[in-house]
Amino acid sequence: MAGYVAQRLGFVVVVVWVMSLLIFGITHLLPGNVAYAILGQYATDAQVAALEQVLGLNDPLPVQYWRWLSGLLRGDFGQSLVMQRPAGPLILEGLGRSAILGAASLTLVALIGIWLGVHSATHPGTLGDRLLTLAQYFFIAVPEFFWAILVILFFSAWLKWLPATGYTPIAESGVMGWLTHLLLPVATLTAGLIAHVSRLTRSSMLETLRAPYVLAARAKGLPERLVLRRHALRNALLPTITVLAVDVGILIGGIVVVETVFAYPGLGRLLIFAIEHRDLPLLQAGMLVVTTVYALANLAADLLYAWANPRIRYGRAIG
Amino acid sequence: MTRAHFGLAALALLVFAEPAAAQGVLRIAVGTSLSTLDPARTTTGEEYIYDNLVFSGLTRMRADLSVEPELAERWDFTPDLKSWTFHLRRGVKFHSGREMVAQDVIKSFERILDPATGAAPRTNYEMIERMTAVDPHTVRFDLKYAYGGFADIMSDRQVKIVPHDGIDALPTQPVGTGPFVFKSYTPGDRLVLARNPAYWEAGAPKLDGVELRVVPEIAVRLAALQAGDLDIIWEVPPEQAKALGGKPGVRVDSVATASWDAAIMNSAIAPFNDPKVRQAFHLAVDKRDVVELTLSGEGAPTHSPIPPNHPFFNKDLPIGKADPRAARQMLAAAGHPNGVKVPLVVPAGRAIREKLGVTLQQLAKPGGFDIEIQRVPFARYNAEISGKAPFYVDGYFARPTVDTSTYPFLHSSGSWNARLFHYKNAQVDEVLDKARLTGKADEQKPLYLALQKHLVDDPPGYIAYAINFVCAYRTTVQGVATHPMRWFDLRAASIAP
Repeated sequence: MAGYVAQRLGFVVVVVWVMSLLIFGITHLLPGNVAYAILGQYATDAQVAALEQVLGLNDPLPVQYWRWLSGLLRGDFGQSLVMQRPAGPLILEGLGRSAILGAASLTLVALIGIWLGVHSATHPGTLGDRLLTLAQYFFIAVPEFFWAILVILFFSAWLKWLPATGYTPIAESGVMGWLTHLLLPVATLTAGLIAHVSRLTRSSMLETLRAPYVLAARAKGLPERLVLRRHALRNALLPTITVLAVDVGILIGGIVVVETVFAYPGLGRLLIFAIEHRDLPLLQAGMLVVTTVYALANLAADLLYAWANPRIRYGRAIG
Repeated sequence: MTRAHFGLAALALLVFAEPAAAQGVLRIAVGTSLSTLDPARTTTGEEYIYDNLVFSGLTRMRADLSVEPELAERWDFTPDLKSWTFHLRRGVKFHSGREMVAQDVIKSFERILDPATGAAPRTNYEMIERMTAVDPHTVRFDLKYAYGGFADIMSDRQVKIVPHDGIDALPTQPVGTGPFVFKSYTPGDRLVLARNPAYWEAGAPKLDGVELRVVPEIAVRLAALQAGDLDIIWEVPPEQAKALGGKPGVRVDSVATASWDAAIMNSAIAPFNDPKVRQAFHLAVDKRDVVELTLSGEGAPTHSPIPPNHPFFNKDLPIGKADPRAARQMLAAAGHPNGVKVPLVVPAGRAIREKLGVTLQQLAKPGGFDIEIQRVPFARYNAEISGKAPFYVDGYFARPTVDTSTYPFLHSSGSWNARLFHYKNAQVDEVLDKARLTGKADEQKPLYLALQKHLVDDPPGYIAYAINFVCAYRTTVQGVATHPMRWFDLRAASIAP
């Protein structure tokens, strides 16, 4: 198992490194001039040239890349050009708030999605199963920004139950104030993903329930509860774990949309700000953090997979 | 009721209780994050709100556009209008607690004049030749040439007095003398300001604080205002103004401004290097139709950057009705018997200006103009459009005086004209030169009336309208009026319980 973990970890490092090359390359292809972005539209050409010199924008790209990467390795995320502040703390603050959204959403998606999928698979063809199938298609089809506007109009403007926008720390407005600001964004983020995960769990579970070893378990007289939990679910969940890891990627994209609509100050908003203002150091560091989060989520999925599926951990460890 | 039920009910009450608004903190929604906290470098309407809450200038502009003393208690000038002495108000303290003195004023203007600062309004103050601290509370400005509106342009958005020893802290912990003190800024979220207890005007401000909330989606801003999550929406799109006005608990306030939009015609590039083609376009499109279609009526047609509600507006000049036949004849006379085919660049993402482009495309068609719309992000305008494209949509915020609204844009040596119109008209130059040499309105008025006449005879570009500025307020908000310069004066603002 240790060898397997080391191998996957090495893989993550390679992925993040390749992504750092890509991010650096792509951001340098973006239209717009960083010096102009800093100096504003009233800058003279001489000022722009002088600033480019100071920022090292005239150095060859590999030199600039090495400067950036070695800075990152020392924990220096660079300086936000527009805000004239270190990018590291800004990103960390945004990441923390986005992580709250992401963790709450992913937990809900896993719990509710799997429960709904299993329920529907064990009651196939019932009214509940059919309604659920219908709802799944509906929630998968309708995009997040539409839900976001709809729930704001309904819960904030009309019912006036929940705040439409923003974030308040627990220290400022207590647990309830904090929670009320999270409810609508999390509900918006989870709707589509719950449908996705429950749909997949349902079909995987249905297939597993038809397997001979489930029949054998039932035949030796095990209670249905144990058949489901111990024999069927563990196998049926394997594809679900993979899909949950993939869903982390979808979730990150969703967080950017949801943070914009709900004016929630997370990493997604910060990235949009960086793109709008051509703040390259902030954008590069932010994108690399997102990449790393995604790679780590997949690492977690791989490890979970190995835990659930002995064939993988023993197969790899021996071979 | 079982204990579980009771628990659930209590939880529901807690969760769904209306979010408590902090008493006396005014929440203003804006669409975009501020990019800088250094007033000299601000360039957007959102940033100007902040400038005027945290900082003060030597003079300030009231909602009726008249100028009154602010940090300068009074001023006097020599008869040749070339030497201006400002007497500073005594006992005004920066938020750091130190008294504001002449040295701060001089440092503030040195920064604005230093090209390295990148201050947007620098060219307006290049007339300053020398600044002298006569004593700690008196500053004298000696000008390179006579200028009658010098005290007026001291009220502009970015020319705020900053502490000479606190320049480095401006981007992160800015300190001013304004009615509100900077607390924190989270890009993408909010700017938090608190009441300045040591503000020099007795009894002001009344609010405990102000928050500028960044809410990018207009639909969300509107919903949040109705829900009571916000107190003010800064800049409501014109097409939303009427619908929002009917909602309970909401007040919509619209004011005429001197901010204008135009189809810029570059007089140095074909086809608009021919004045006849520029005139033909004016014959082809009725500005009243443009106001109705682009602004849902929230604006007024104008001849120049002087808005129709200004005393200097020339009411005797008619706003022409569209005459497509005459337009085509004029084009034929200019050597375009088959009309003119020209691309029109619009700034992508600026909704009203994009709409203006499409409106002009449609309205100018019968007059012989075959316009193709090209969308280009505004951020690329400077590098790719200004001075290069023959025809593009752009617009400008109101300037503090008629001189600063017209001279840079229309004089052949004007800084903005060099970017936009490339327009040269000796008569226009003459009246603009004369008008800035007097500080008296009755002498300026005939000159500016003549200016507009010359501009109608030989139009630099299609200056379409002066746009209204619309804000929406909860009815609980008192003591705030929508300001034609698009910032807020919140000294007297309060929130009714």
